[in-house]
Amino acid sequence: MDISFLLSQLIGGLSTAMLLFLVSSGLSLIFGVGKVFNFAHGSFYLLGSYLAYQFINMFTNFWVGVVCATIGAGIFGMVMEFLFLRRIYGRQDEGGFQILLTYSFILIIDDMVKFIWGSEYKTIEKPEILIDQVQIGSIFIPKYSLFILIVGLLIAISFWFILNKTETGKIVKATAIDRDMLGLLGINVPLVMTTVFGVATAMGGLSGALAAPLRTVTPGAGIEVIIDSLIVIVLGGLGNFWGALLGSIIIGEVLAFGILWVPQWASLLNFLVMVLVLIFKPEGLFPQKKGGRV
Amino acid sequence: MSKKLSLCVMFLLLLFATQSFAEQVVKIGALYPMSGRGGLYGKDSEIAIKIALDEVHKKGLPKGIKLDVIITDDQSKPDYAVSVAKRYITEEKVKFLFGVVSSAVALAVTEVSKNNKIIFVGTDHAATDLTAQKFQPYYFRVSNNTYQSMMAGAMYLKEMGGWKKIAYIGPDYAYGRDQWMELKYALDKLGVTYEVVGEYWPKLYEPDYTSYITAIINAKPDILVAGFWGGDTVAFIKQAKAYGLFSKMKYFHPDAGGNYEVMAALGKEMPEGLIMSARHHVNWPDTPENKAFVEKFYKQAGRYPSYAAEGAYAGIHLIAEAIRKVGNADDTEALVKAMEGMKLRLPEDPKGFTSYIDPKTHQIVQVQAIGVTEKNKKYPPAEVMLGKFKVYDANKLWPDFDYIEYLKKTKK
Repeated sequence: MDISFLLSQLIGGLSTAMLLFLVSSGLSLIFGVGKVFNFAHGSFYLLGSYLAYQFINMFTNFWVGVVCATIGAGIFGMVMEFLFLRRIYGRQDEGGFQILLTYSFILIIDDMVKFIWGSEYKTIEKPEILIDQVQIGSIFIPKYSLFILIVGLLIAISFWFILNKTETGKIVKATAIDRDMLGLLGINVPLVMTTVFGVATAMGGLSGALAAPLRTVTPGAGIEVIIDSLIVIVLGGLGNFWGALLGSIIIGEVLAFGILWVPQWASLLNFLVMVLVLIFKPEGLFPQKKGGRV
Repeated sequence: MSKKLSLCVMFLLLLFATQSFAEQVVKIGALYPMSGRGGLYGKDSEIAIKIALDEVHKKGLPKGIKLDVIITDDQSKPDYAVSVAKRYITEEKVKFLFGVVSSAVALAVTEVSKNNKIIFVGTDHAATDLTAQKFQPYYFRVSNNTYQSMMAGAMYLKEMGGWKKIAYIGPDYAYGRDQWMELKYALDKLGVTYEVVGEYWPKLYEPDYTSYITAIINAKPDILVAGFWGGDTVAFIKQAKAYGLFSKMKYFHPDAGGNYEVMAALGKEMPEGLIMSARHHVNWPDTPENKAFVEKFYKQAGRYPSYAAEGAYAGIHLIAEAIRKVGNADDTEALVKAMEGMKLRLPEDPKGFTSYIDPKTHQIVQVQAIGVTEKNKKYPPAEVMLGKFKVYDANKLWPDFDYIEYLKKTKK
């Protein structure tokens, strides 16, 4: 097996990983900060794809479409948090309520999408400048995959910067530790929660919009991406941003090399990795510290 | 005045009552996915059912029989579909079970049909097992099984020649695995020699094929056979195109690659030169029946039909013809006999051939047309459609009793 092939497999795995990271980072963020497990996160990915389809056709510009879809998904998320989720915070057995409530949104968003855009598959074309490939040595990489890699890294870095180096980040992190105390200090905690939820769902929307030119825009796609995202955040440690990145890379690469050596079992390997992590390090590879690191 | 009015009302009520006595309603319990990924096929089947019902009722059925089709979302879940089918039989008193897209659902529903002696007309699912080793006398299928597609595919590959190395990628469940087994069986039967250089099994609905694509390119097959359906085909083609896979090997997808919904979703992104087929083509055959069907569908839906529509359309006509032949819808055994060997002129039949139900396996026998993708903007939003069709003789594709014996030995 020549080295350039292994390298192309490695890069292929990374590009799979980056899209996975884009989806799961939002899920991880909202869990890390608000302890909200948003089971409907995949539906925001779905919503992002459809909104991108709508706005790209409306403005005939890919970039404007993607930005509008991201904002649109974020606004929808904020409305969902404000009108519904907020009502169950602090209840006894909040976790159960969260799962029921957010699960119901999977069904609502799926049917809403079908109602508005119909059940036939939709397609989004890549922007003109990202259509072909770049050649690095003997390896060909689609420009669009490189673009996703760069966006993923940029997002990871900016989130790290905002959460660790800014005042806003400190407030957000404090929300994860003690909401009551933060409220007593005069911070509008509900507003912080709504905003974080909006940012997280906007991330879901962005990932859906960016994945659309590579995938099929169809109802039902939301529930499918949530499974892989769940594996990623369980691997990485619930609520840990860097954990989500590492989890995504592990899953992407395990699949990329699994295909070479055990093609019959490749799609099972991810679950195997998850089982091993749960047995030997049940808190995940990067567990959330008591201090509420996100 | 009020007396007159009440008399009028009484008269009208009586009129309706006698009418409903004269009309015997025969219920058909249909199961389709109406949500999620399969929702499109359920929706298209529903539209085609309406078109077929209009035609059937226009022509009329004996004893003023009217067909009433109830559709329930089977959620593509076998256990749920079984509970709906049982409810259809006990509460709705349906005379026929109908539809089903997923083979897993169909394999469960055929058991209900067998145990309750209720005819089940399968319109869409393709697992060969149902009309082979899992055959039961109350099951009929009006769309081809994967063996028919794969045998036609093997014939195409044999004629084409000039290749040796072959690889396969298909979803990791019965549909994907059966197609590969059947293609290899058919190639062996035709005496074609080949070398398998890779087999890839992504999960159903896999969103990201990148690593599979790079591995396939490295395996350097002459031909890549694909066994995806629906959205998975769309995602795979989009991603493989970005890696230039189609310029490095021939792409061959004989069961569901050429579905119209795939062409529509890919638009101008669909590469030219891919060899594909489907269970129904909107642009082939060029017969009045196919044109009329496609036009009627377009009028109702404002878009062209996916392959699923024609199966549902055929199913309703099969039931109607059987009722016409028997004269009622109550004698199930007579209806089964009537359906066996029945000829049905369908949109997908080319000139000079009429589909028929094989009496021994209850599988519809149809020609298979395999084409190559080329530019064709007559059916928007698709910009590339299949053309240069090669047509394979229906009788050479099914029944194949050797294969059924093989299945009995290898599968339970």
